[in-house]
Amino acid sequence: MGIKKYFMLWWLFTRITTQVALQSRFGTVIFLVGKLLRFTFFLLFLVLLVSKTKSIASYSFWQVIFFFATFNLLDSIPQFLWREVYRFRNYIMRGFFDYIITKPISPLFRCLFGGSDILDLFILLISVVFAIYSAGQLSVVTFTGVIVYMLLIINALLISLAFHIFVLSVGVVTTEVDNSIMLYRDLTQMGRVPIDVYQEPLRGLLTFVIPVGMMMTFPAKALMGILSLENMLYAVLFSITLLFLSLYFWQFSLKKYASVSS
Amino acid sequence: MSKYSSIIINTWNEILTYRLSFVMWRLRTIFQLLTIYFLWHSLIPKSQTLFGYSQSVMLTYIVGTAVLSAIVFSTRTHEIGENINSGNLSSFLTKPISYFGYWFCRDIGDKLMNISFSIIELFILFFILRPSLFIQTNIEYLLFFLIAIVFGVLLYFLIGAMLGMIGFWSPEVWAPRFIFFILVQFFSGALFPLDIFPKPIFALFQFLPFPYLLFFPLKIYLGQISFAEIAQGLTVTMVWIFVLWHGVALVWQKGLRMYTAYGN
Repeated sequence: MGIKKYFMLWWLFTRITTQVALQSRFGTVIFLVGKLLRFTFFLLFLVLLVSKTKSIASYSFWQVIFFFATFNLLDSIPQFLWREVYRFRNYIMRGFFDYIITKPISPLFRCLFGGSDILDLFILLISVVFAIYSAGQLSVVTFTGVIVYMLLIINALLISLAFHIFVLSVGVVTTEVDNSIMLYRDLTQMGRVPIDVYQEPLRGLLTFVIPVGMMMTFPAKALMGILSLENMLYAVLFSITLLFLSLYFWQFSLKKYASVSS
Repeated sequence: MSKYSSIIINTWNEILTYRLSFVMWRLRTIFQLLTIYFLWHSLIPKSQTLFGYSQSVMLTYIVGTAVLSAIVFSTRTHEIGENINSGNLSSFLTKPISYFGYWFCRDIGDKLMNISFSIIELFILFFILRPSLFIQTNIEYLLFFLIAIVFGVLLYFLIGAMLGMIGFWSPEVWAPRFIFFILVQFFSGALFPLDIFPKPIFALFQFLPFPYLLFFPLKIYLGQISFAEIAQGLTVTMVWIFVLWHGVALVWQKGLRMYTAYGN
């Protein structure tokens, strides 16, 4: 099946899940307000903090806001694209996964892209606006910087994709999904502020082992022109390796699938 | 009494059924604590203060939020809405058991499990990180601290029960809880002490029930508020408990009239 067919399928799944999500307008509004509040509250915290300290880890106010906007971008895109992962435990527990693996499409595609969450587009849009505006306040932005920023955003999304595949695989083997995906979310929350805030050895750990810094801080640093070429190359190498490992683990988990729930 | 203690034991066993899930949950809470801990550790150098907090006092506050979260925020009341929606409430109505007594015992089981694990985790973290924490030795402050925790537990249970009963009127029980969770995270002071806000804004916060879940008990523990302020805070908490207690009773009565045992 070609990419065009898969795109059509994604569009179909997303339309269906959007219709389901919009069935309860009350719920939709509450979720949107909740997401907006979460964004606003942390922004308020940062504003309070920088108003008192003048800078965080020697980053200026607008640089801190740009880091925060980039974090939100990289937090909301995976939630929008791979929301199906959050529903996966139910599929395993109820045996619906058996139905998925018998279909003539990639089960991994179905479990990742089986219905994007339109509610995340709202925060995604706000994050883009904040990122563009705060980047505009920085004096060091160059065309090359913007290109590298975008490439590193894609790289961060590949790392995120690998983590989502790991979560699915763990779910197939152990039925544990919900806390695994939320653990990933909790870890990435450390990237709401530039990773330079943390002291060594935590900073090194968060940059090179648990790749929060690589995902959340590297793109913004690249735009500001303060990321070394070695770090960029390391990030690319890391994401490719992690993605291959996650795909391997997915295949392994499928072999271990016992189909006990159906 | 034995039926209620059985509920506590059953809840404990239920949590242990999905052990990996529970371990992941505890891992999450450790990472949440470490995120905030290291952030404040880096923001306040050892010999300086920020927003009137020294590093040791702020870190005590942050570690305190982790301990109190395990005590106050561990709850099973989020299942009330599903219980009503699925029609499982019907079986409770025919049993000689208090419905809210049942959920409070579930809460106790959940809290005991979370407290046990958080104590072990904090001991381990304490030996690894060796933070300089503030130890309160004044018996009066410690006594008021314990009272404030008990009030916080009651307050959170009543709010949780009230939210659960939305299930009588709407199948959408998760969305209100989602927004409630975000409000609690912010206004309870889980991320930072609320008195870092400008005074007029902080004064407004004090009328809400949320600061009395974490922030207020911790301020008592740190000995940073006077006994008059403690009395004022405890009075506001009691007013909220009184209002919510009667609110829950009223909503329960109205809800039961709406209940059609749909689904079961």
